[in-house]
Amino acid sequence: MLTKRQNLVEVMRGGNPDRFVKQYEPFALMMKTPISRIKPPVGGTVVNEWGVTLSWPEGQLGSFPVHDEEHIVVKDITKWRDYVKAPKLDYPEEAWVTAVAEANAVDRSDQYVTVFVAPGLFEHVHYLMSMEEALMAYYEEPEEMHALIDYLVDFELRLAKEFIDHLHPDAVFHHDDWGSQINSFISPAMFKEFFEPAYKKIYSYYKENGVELIVHHSDSYAANLVPSMIEMGIDIWQGVMNTNNIPELIKEYGDKITFMGGIHSGLVDFPGWTPEIVAEYVKKTCEENGKLYFIPSQTSGLPIDSFPGVYETINQEIDKMSEKMF
Amino acid sequence: MSKIAEVKAKVEAGKSKLVPGLVQEALDEGNSPGEILQAMVDSMGIVGDKFSSGEIFVPEMLIAAKAMSKGVEVLKPLMAGDGSTSLGTCIIGTVAGDLHDIGKNLVSMMIESAGFDMIDLGVDVPADTFVQAVKDNANVKLVACSGLLTTTMPALKEAVQTIKVAYPEMKVIVGGAPVTPEYAAEVGADGYAPDAGSAAVKAKELVTA
Repeated sequence: MLTKRQNLVEVMRGGNPDRFVKQYEPFALMMKTPISRIKPPVGGTVVNEWGVTLSWPEGQLGSFPVHDEEHIVVKDITKWRDYVKAPKLDYPEEAWVTAVAEANAVDRSDQYVTVFVAPGLFEHVHYLMSMEEALMAYYEEPEEMHALIDYLVDFELRLAKEFIDHLHPDAVFHHDDWGSQINSFISPAMFKEFFEPAYKKIYSYYKENGVELIVHHSDSYAANLVPSMIEMGIDIWQGVMNTNNIPELIKEYGDKITFMGGIHSGLVDFPGWTPEIVAEYVKKTCEENGKLYFIPSQTSGLPIDSFPGVYETINQEIDKMSEKMF
Repeated sequence: MSKIAEVKAKVEAGKSKLVPGLVQEALDEGNSPGEILQAMVDSMGIVGDKFSSGEIFVPEMLIAAKAMSKGVEVLKPLMAGDGSTSLGTCIIGTVAGDLHDIGKNLVSMMIESAGFDMIDLGVDVPADTFVQAVKDNANVKLVACSGLLTTTMPALKEAVQTIKVAYPEMKVIVGGAPVTPEYAAEVGADGYAPDAGSAAVKAKELVTA
């Protein structure tokens, strides 16, 4: 039997996996580093390291940046330098002890030590200035937007260096939602101009420094951005929704990028979920997308569920499909 | 190209700095405010169609709507009290328990561009608040309810049904990622739209039918 890591490599190279990769199983996520971003607790509000106020109201499935007049960070894009100050990243070695111990405890022949980065560049920009203002500014103040993105890239490169120096990760799991369920937020041309070179710089840095795998999360439609994803150096697109034509994507791009998702979290992870509903979606996604260049997974961006039992039930159903199809 | 055609073209291209001047020039040329407004509404109709078909994306729609609103600012003083150009008032909001506002804001912008006066109740709006807003505002012709989460679909249903009990003739349109035409019909909504461009078309269709 292949290790989880070997099995993933076989899936990605179109070789001979001996079972489905079960969602996030090959990735040991390092979440307790001193440079991991602050998130509000459920029912709470925090001001994060960048001055963005984030609120997670009771009953919601995630946190939201607060963008009223008082809380918005960048009030005028032409003056972003006055408002945006990157947080410090230099922490004493003691602050890294927990994360280093966790990384050392991972059997790297079985799993990838995986660092986690969120939010990504696109989200970070609209966290700072609101979605509507950010999207208009790509047209109205392109030079300032390029400069702001360059500033965020510089921060991400320093963040990457800290991760690499302390944890020697095998993989990076990077979040940045680039679309809605039905389309990308911005055109492929605009994406290519603003984000492709920026991410290429970040992901190349990881790869040049020993990181084997780039996993990028965008639980959305983003089929039109796949050529850019490949150019950036993404190895696995996590969160691919079935509003993308996944079998077509696998056929066209599978030898260059692997697709992870297909099981739309909104359809299986909700108050009225049942094991039967989960089984139906897992079966469908495994049968439709096949054994190579594809990892069946919930689309949400962490190995957790909103309603207890869903994540584990998906795993059990993937096991059943592995028995059936391998 | 006539000034009115230029206004139309520049709204579509999202040139918000140029549109106010062109609107003024179109007025100076003798076009009526109503004609100019209609030209901009038509432009936004094209923008909405292009968005629905995937030809343009959110930024292009946003800058076009901004350009139109800059043009409308020039026309407003000339059209004050002239209700003949409005399709009526539309109440819009994201339903209780749901804090997503981007999709709702885009729909609001596009419905406004189609010629409605908008009352935006924001996010996390209880069913009764929609009803109260219908009561408190003049000439309400349409209520638009948005819900983005599968977990808030029951709240969407409650909103539609509460509005319909209070105002059986009121037109209600729904939308949001998990909403389907079947679900919209099942909860008693009069209309459904999959995106902001089609929402404007559907809104107009519902109140002019």
